[in-house]
Amino acid sequence: MSAAYIWAVIALMAVANFAVRFPPMALVSRLDLPEPVTRWLGFVPAAVMGSLVAGEVLRPGGQLTLSPTSPYLPAALVTALVYHYTRSFLGATVAGMAGFVAARALLG
Amino acid sequence: MSDMSQQRPHEGLLARFTRGVRLGSPIFLGYMPVGIAFGVLATTIGFSASQAIVCSATALAGAGQFIALNLMRDRADVLAVVAATTVVNLRYVLFAATLSPHLRGMPASKQALLAFTLTDETFAVNVSDRRSGASTGASMAGVGAIAWTGWVTGTALGALAAGWIGDPSTWGMDFAMPAMFTALLIALAEDRRHVAVAAIGAALAVGLPALAGVGIAIPSSWLIVIASVGAATAGAVIFR
Repeated sequence: MSAAYIWAVIALMAVANFAVRFPPMALVSRLDLPEPVTRWLGFVPAAVMGSLVAGEVLRPGGQLTLSPTSPYLPAALVTALVYHYTRSFLGATVAGMAGFVAARALLG
Repeated sequence: MSDMSQQRPHEGLLARFTRGVRLGSPIFLGYMPVGIAFGVLATTIGFSASQAIVCSATALAGAGQFIALNLMRDRADVLAVVAATTVVNLRYVLFAATLSPHLRGMPASKQALLAFTLTDETFAVNVSDRRSGASTGASMAGVGAIAWTGWVTGTALGALAAGWIGDPSTWGMDFAMPAMFTALLIALAEDRRHVAVAAIGAALAVGLPALAGVGIAIPSSWLIVIASVGAATAGAVIFR
């Protein structure tokens, strides 16, 4: 893999990732949004997180995995419970990773 | 309180920034293992350590960066790699738009800085801080700065110590990103309406690929964007 190829990807990724973040922010913050649009935007965070988690946990690697021996679901439950009771983002992440390792060892 | 901050604006600004850094410190620690994994994988497929670090420092794109590595390993065309990471991160368009009503009157240069550090995690922390009424531009900058530092530090550690770290999956790395998303989901699903919208998003993300059976194949890189837009729209229509 040539250095030029890698640097080209790095440069264009930097531009592209800024382009999806800044223009919408600059534009929308200068507009008066009608109520239905702000209501819609209010649901975006939960919608994105719901679909991200389902994708990561139920379709790891792009394949639907509902097997009882999949370590993803028990690890996600551990993460959710730890976050619910401790409100610690870090504690939940670490517990989830440990739960994943344990579930993989026990179920695999 | 406001009089004091007017007399000593710099101290007020610094205090607000520091508050953001404190709020964002769990993101720093959460990004470390994921950044380490990126550093290890990037050097494994042929990046130099400095290339891995510059990539993380300028893109700050999480999942998008991992997808780029996958495609680059298969020698994909430069534009194909960039297009795939961009589509995966199209949800940032939604995040940016969701935050913007709170950023009215902020100069474009400061918005650009906030936009640069906008990720799933900084977004979720800022949105929940905003609901408590304490969030300001300076606190958001603090959240962004500490998250960026965690991502870049992790990448540097992974890239420079790849040989010593070995296979990151042995210590549960595969689940670091899903775990962060799961905790953020619980943090954001604060009432029945948001739980319902999250459930619709989950059902769409799992169910839409089944449409391939009737000839409608949705590219996996578009799946999250389509499921999210669908679920938010359903929420806005159902919960008037």
